[in-house]
Amino acid sequence: MAEYGVGIGWRPEIAGFVESLPGLRFAEVVAESVHAHDELPTGLQALLDRGATVIPHGVRLSLGSTEPVDPARVDHFAAVAARLNAPLVSEHIAFVRAGGVEAGHLLPLPRTREAVDAVVANVRRVQAALPVPIALEPIAALFDWPDDELTEAQFLTEILDRSGARLLLDVANVYANARNRGADPEALLDDLPLDRIAYVHVAGGAEHQGLYHDTHTDAVPQPVLDLVAALCARHVPPALMLERDGDYPPAPALAADLDAIAKASGYPPIT
Amino acid sequence: MDDTWGISGPTFLTYFIGATIAIVIIAAVHRKTLFRGDRSARVDNLGPQQVAYLNGGDRLAIYSSMGGLRAANALGTGPGRTLIRTGPLPSGVTPLDSAIYNAAGNGVRTRDLPNDQWVASAIEQLRDHLERSGLAVSAGKMREARLWVLGGLALVLIGIARIVAGLGNDRPVGFLVVATIAAFVLTLTMLRTRRWATDAAHRGMRDLRSRHTHLAPVNSPSYATYGATGAAMGVALYGGAALYSMDPAFAAEAEVQRIAATGGSAGSSGGTDSSSSSCSSGSSCSGGSSCGGGGGCGG
Repeated sequence: MAEYGVGIGWRPEIAGFVESLPGLRFAEVVAESVHAHDELPTGLQALLDRGATVIPHGVRLSLGSTEPVDPARVDHFAAVAARLNAPLVSEHIAFVRAGGVEAGHLLPLPRTREAVDAVVANVRRVQAALPVPIALEPIAALFDWPDDELTEAQFLTEILDRSGARLLLDVANVYANARNRGADPEALLDDLPLDRIAYVHVAGGAEHQGLYHDTHTDAVPQPVLDLVAALCARHVPPALMLERDGDYPPAPALAADLDAIAKASGYPPIT
Repeated sequence: MDDTWGISGPTFLTYFIGATIAIVIIAAVHRKTLFRGDRSARVDNLGPQQVAYLNGGDRLAIYSSMGGLRAANALGTGPGRTLIRTGPLPSGVTPLDSAIYNAAGNGVRTRDLPNDQWVASAIEQLRDHLERSGLAVSAGKMREARLWVLGGLALVLIGIARIVAGLGNDRPVGFLVVATIAAFVLTLTMLRTRRWATDAAHRGMRDLRSRHTHLAPVNSPSYATYGATGAAMGVALYGGAALYSMDPAFAAEAEVQRIAATGGSAGSSGGTDSSSSSCSSGSSCSGGSSCGGGGGCGG
C-alpha cells in the first residue's frame, strides 16, 4: 500500500464533514453498508471522484467461525472492493455467529492452534474470491479465554504468516487490551510484525468502572495518541485513520482528533 | 324526446371536455409565464431561511430558524408546548432568528409564531427581498394564476346544471357526471396549488439540494457536527422531517409538522398540507400586511 497519511472512517452521518476535508486521500467504509451494484452514496462517490482511496471494511464475515464463511457474503465483499476500486480490503479476526446464531457483536477467539487453523482456512477462502489483498484486524476484548495456548503476538503472527494477509492494527485496541490486563501496550508493539501493517485504526474511548472501553464515540485520549507516536517511532505505517462511530461531536472537535493523529504520526494534517 | 337545452349529449360533452382541457392548458401556460422569475437570479448566496421560504413558505422559514437556534442550544420547549430560551442568542443571527428568540422569551407556541408581530415583519422582509430578486412568487402573481379557478368553477356549475336538467329530461348523464367530477378535481388542484419559488429558483434549488445530500434525513446527519447553519439548511432543503431527525423530542414537543419541502419537484405538492392548517388559525391576518401573502389561504 502506498503512503496515504491520515484518513477517516466514512459514515453517512458525517459525510459532509469528510467531504470537506481538503487533504483527505484515504477513507474506509463499512463493506456491508455499500450496495455492490447500486449507486454509491453521493458523499462516497465524491471522494472517489477526487481520487481518494476508499477501503471496504467488513464486519460480518465472521472469519473466526469454525464453519466456512458464507459464500454470498464473500461475493458481496469482493464486489464492493471492485466497485470502489480498492487496493485492499479488511476484516476482523473474530466471530459474529456460531452454529447459526448471530451474536450481533464481534467476539474474540480463544488463542489456540485450532482457532488459528479455522481463521486461516476462512481467510484463504476469502482470498480466493478477492481481487485484492486483505488486512486482518485483531479486536479488543475485555477477557481472555481460559484455554489460550498462544500469546496475542504469537497468535496474530501465526495467522498472518500462514495466510499471507496483512495487518490492520487498532492502536486503541492495543491500548485497551493492555491497560485492562495491567500490561504494557508498547510490549505488544515490539512483538508484532509491524512491517506487515497495511493501515492503522485510531479511536476514542472512555473509562468506566475501572475498565477502559474502546467506545469509538469519545475523543481520542492522550495515552492512545502516545501509543500512536510510539508505534511510528518503531515503524511508520502507510496510513492511519480515525474511527468514530457515533455521538459525533462538532466539526472542530473531529478536526482536532484528526490533527492530533497527524501530529503523533508525523504525517501532514488533512483538515 | 328533445335534446336538453337543444344540444345533443355527445356534442355538449365534446364542448365541455374541450373547454376543461383548454382552461387547464391556458392556466398552465399562464402560470409558466407568471412563475418564470429572473433567469439570472442565483440561489447560491441565499441563507438557509431564504431557501426554506422558497421551499415551503413562512412556515418552513420559521422551522429552519428554529432548527438553527436549537442546534445552537438557544431554543427549547417548556410547559404547555411553549418555546423557551435555553441559552444566549448566538452571534451573527438573522432578524428572523432574533424575532423567534424574542418570542420564545414570551413563551409563545410554534403555531402562534406567525402571529407574532416581530416574526411577521422579519418574514415580510425576507419575502420582499426574494420577490424583488425574482426568486419568490409574489402574492399578486399567485392571485392572478388562481383567476383560472373561476373558469373551472363556471364549468363545474354548468355541468351540474346540465346534469339536473338532463335528469329532469330523462336523458342519460353518466359521462357528464364523470366529466364534471374531473373538472371539479382539476379546479380544486388549481386552487390548492401553492408555490413560493419561481422556476428560476427551482432550478437553482435542485442544484443546492444535490450539493447538500449529506443533510438529508435518510443519512441521519449529525447536526452537532454540521452546526447551526447545517441544521437550518437541512430543514430548509428537507422540510420539517429534518427537525425530527435532528431532535425528535424537541420537534414533537414544539409540534413541528412534517411538511415536505417542495423545491426539487414540479412545485405543486406541499400546498395541500399547509393550506388546510394555516387557514384555520384565522387570526393570522391580524398582523396586517402579512395576510394573503404567504399564508396560502387561497389568495
